[in-house]
Amino acid sequence: MTKSQYVRANYQVNATPQFHVLSEHQCENIYYGALEALERTGAEVHSRTALEIFRQGGCRVDGNRVRFPTRLVERAVSSTPSRVVISDRHGHRSMFLEGSNVYYGPGPTNTYTLDPFTGERRRPKKSDTVRAGIVCDALPNIAYAMDNGTPMDVTPTLADVHAFQALLENTVKPIIHWGFGIEQYQDIVEMAAAVAGGLAELQRNPFIVLYSESSPPLRHSEEAIDKAIFAAKTDIPVIYTPCTFAGGVAPATMAGSLVISVADFLVGLVAGQLVREGASFIMGGLISTMDMSSSILSYGATELSLLSAGLTDVARHMKIPMFSTGGCSDSKVIDVQTGIEAAFSILIAGLSGASIVHDCNYMEYGATGSLELMVMDDEIIGMVKRILEGIEVDDEHLAVDVIDAVGPGGHFLGEMHTMAHFRDFWAPTLINRLRYDGWKAEGSKTMGQRIREKTQNIINTHKPEKLPDEVLRQIQTVVDRAEAREAAKKISK
Amino acid sequence: MSKYFEDLAQSVIAGQQERVKELTRQALDAGTDPVEIINQGLISGMNVVGARFKVGQMFVPEVLMSARAMNGGMELVKPLLVGQELPSAGKVVLGTVKGDLHDIGKNLVGMMLESAGFTVVNLGVDAGPEKFLQAIKEHKPGVIGLSALLTTTMLSMKDTIEVLKEEGLRTEVKVIVGGAPISQDFAEEIGADGFAPDAASATDLCKKLLA
Amino acid sequence: MSNYFEDLAHSVIAGQQDRVKQLTQQALDAGTDPVEIINQGLISGMNVVGARFKVGQMFVPEVLMSARAMNGGMELVKPLLVGQELPSAGKVVLGTVKGDLHDIGKNLVGMMLESAGFTVVNLGVDAGPQKFLQAIKEHKPGVIGMSALLTTTMLSMKDTIEVLKEEGLRNKVKVIVGGAPISQDFADEIGADGFAPDAASATDLCKKLLA
Repeated sequence: MTKSQYVRANYQVNATPQFHVLSEHQCENIYYGALEALERTGAEVHSRTALEIFRQGGCRVDGNRVRFPTRLVERAVSSTPSRVVISDRHGHRSMFLEGSNVYYGPGPTNTYTLDPFTGERRRPKKSDTVRAGIVCDALPNIAYAMDNGTPMDVTPTLADVHAFQALLENTVKPIIHWGFGIEQYQDIVEMAAAVAGGLAELQRNPFIVLYSESSPPLRHSEEAIDKAIFAAKTDIPVIYTPCTFAGGVAPATMAGSLVISVADFLVGLVAGQLVREGASFIMGGLISTMDMSSSILSYGATELSLLSAGLTDVARHMKIPMFSTGGCSDSKVIDVQTGIEAAFSILIAGLSGASIVHDCNYMEYGATGSLELMVMDDEIIGMVKRILEGIEVDDEHLAVDVIDAVGPGGHFLGEMHTMAHFRDFWAPTLINRLRYDGWKAEGSKTMGQRIREKTQNIINTHKPEKLPDEVLRQIQTVVDRAEAREAAKKISK
Repeated sequence: MSKYFEDLAQSVIAGQQERVKELTRQALDAGTDPVEIINQGLISGMNVVGARFKVGQMFVPEVLMSARAMNGGMELVKPLLVGQELPSAGKVVLGTVKGDLHDIGKNLVGMMLESAGFTVVNLGVDAGPEKFLQAIKEHKPGVIGLSALLTTTMLSMKDTIEVLKEEGLRTEVKVIVGGAPISQDFAEEIGADGFAPDAASATDLCKKLLA
Repeated sequence: MSNYFEDLAHSVIAGQQDRVKQLTQQALDAGTDPVEIINQGLISGMNVVGARFKVGQMFVPEVLMSARAMNGGMELVKPLLVGQELPSAGKVVLGTVKGDLHDIGKNLVGMMLESAGFTVVNLGVDAGPQKFLQAIKEHKPGVIGMSALLTTTMLSMKDTIEVLKEEGLRNKVKVIVGGAPISQDFADEIGADGFAPDAASATDLCKKLLA
């Protein structure tokens, strides 16, 4: 039985929980702060290519110092696509970076890895990147792959190329990848094109995103900005991500840090848009505080969540997809601290509606990558996704008829209505809700033990889809050629 | 015929009571042996449900729907078991203890037991020692099951066991306990014969105690 | 006079550069021995700062302000150290490695070293092996310190050490490394003499290496 026919006036619905750190006016104010910093202070740029692009584009260039007229920056922002669609390895469009869609995944280039079999903290090897690919491929809530550590058992200057090969061959998911410089980026794009069936196909349905990190305040190395320019030229989406830590390379105030972060992103964006109007850019910003005792850039700080959510609000104001941070920790092992920091940051990043939330594997302020943390984060992301689904309120969900049918003192377990809806409850895979005796019967395992078992199980049993032999050969050819190039450089040195 | 039993078992698994009834009726009309309908169709489906529940592929409301569907079939078959009485797995008296009005867990246990072939006598809620005593005298069950959700009422489980001792009935019947605040330790403390953390294990426990 | 030194030390601890300058000038005008001003006032204050930082009672920005305040006083005292040259704790060349533009950590180390009495030559950022080589030849430091924040640039630390070996300068100078991705293991791997996890320990490390 439904209610009598009715219409409603002014009825509002929260399809999801509502969360904003900044109002539209505050976002605007931060954006204007960044425009003012760029016009007044400008940025130091250490790339001849970029300086020339800026000069020709109408910036005021004085030596390495570039000052950006507001109209130029505004033009760049308005020519940036408000959405970027990333495909999987098959070219199926899978990540829609638009609006407030949220996708989670790991981060790159850790110098240590926590071995999920021995517990040892050690240098990453290429076989660890293979494992990273497998685990990313297997976890349902991880949307893309990133390397989880720089492999150190390969030619050092080609660690990026080898890591990419390992990911490419072990996951069908989209890959976000870094590079030392342009040469390596060319190798990486060529490998990806071999998989996609040509560069044009890769450009049409990109399944890779390039990644470049700049060093605030207002300073851009040759490598950082040239990589952004390369991506724009090559027509591959790129994340330009300043690494901003409040009190260190940015003001100690949250708003001031946001100004630096936005301004530094805009420097990369302007370069890219001058090279190719409409180039796909994703706004990065690793943004947190500098711990004033240890001087680390904290990956567990509450301000990381607060600042990242604020930056996401500004990105949405600018209508540019956002690359945010979460699921990370300053802890050295998987422990209670890891759980607190990871859960907090995943929840806030999710509520903020950031397009991509990366670093769901970062331990020890980013020095160590951990697949176990990624497995734990996968569970937390599942919980957060349920929260983001909100509460539906309509006749079916109000269930007044069912309440009447069951009556006082009855139960709802046997109702068709229950059958239709109980699977909306989030069902845990790692979180343990057994009765004490049941838990004891299963070996009294802690969360840490269960995480480790699941991680090992994935690595031992998950078989990612193989690439065709011919494609594998083409990829290997690119790697071999890169090796020859680096060997030749060494000799000439 | 095996295809038919498969259909019936699948309908039990899917919890489709109407479909189970319809298939059972068809089979009976075609002259199928009622015992075969039960063993190869209804119970066979319920066994799958039990197994899936244990590994977390099916959940409580689904098990309940399956049990209901199975019982729907059972109702049709039972009257036809002339002479060949369906062998009961045993008789169990269930009740929520005195002062406690929570019966969802106990009812769940009841449905699970029934679907495993037990005969269940349900005393409802607020069942004090005297009520259990009377039921034992009247029904002569193999097992009595006491349920409590409140920490304030769980203590009355011990009272019931004491009364059974006084009446010289303690060795005549197995006593099992369950409910949110109950644990194996508590069961042992009050001198119960067993504890089950959930409805599925309660069935296994009764089977074990009556073996 | 002891009360005066206490005031001066407190002004260093509070990071009040202008007050430190004023007190230092007053003391000099009154004919106080410059070495006493340094030891009993400026350095005495800075020692308290170092101790408080270690136990988490003071934080990096405060330490920096104290170091600045102390250096403000030093600038006034130094020219008057006629004949009695202030003994330098040693000379350190610092630089952020090639391709890396992060210099906050390195600059922090520089200030800490200076406030501990070291002479510091700061090569700035993007300093490749040749730049370090040239600085070693020119300044003859006891220690060179290399800093890197990026995992992509940290590898160039090894290049610098290799170049020092080729030039036969490796045993003329101690090499220390630091920065976010750097660890003791990494320092050992590339054959550095030491690693410091933060600016305060870098000072201790230099003292130890030059002892």
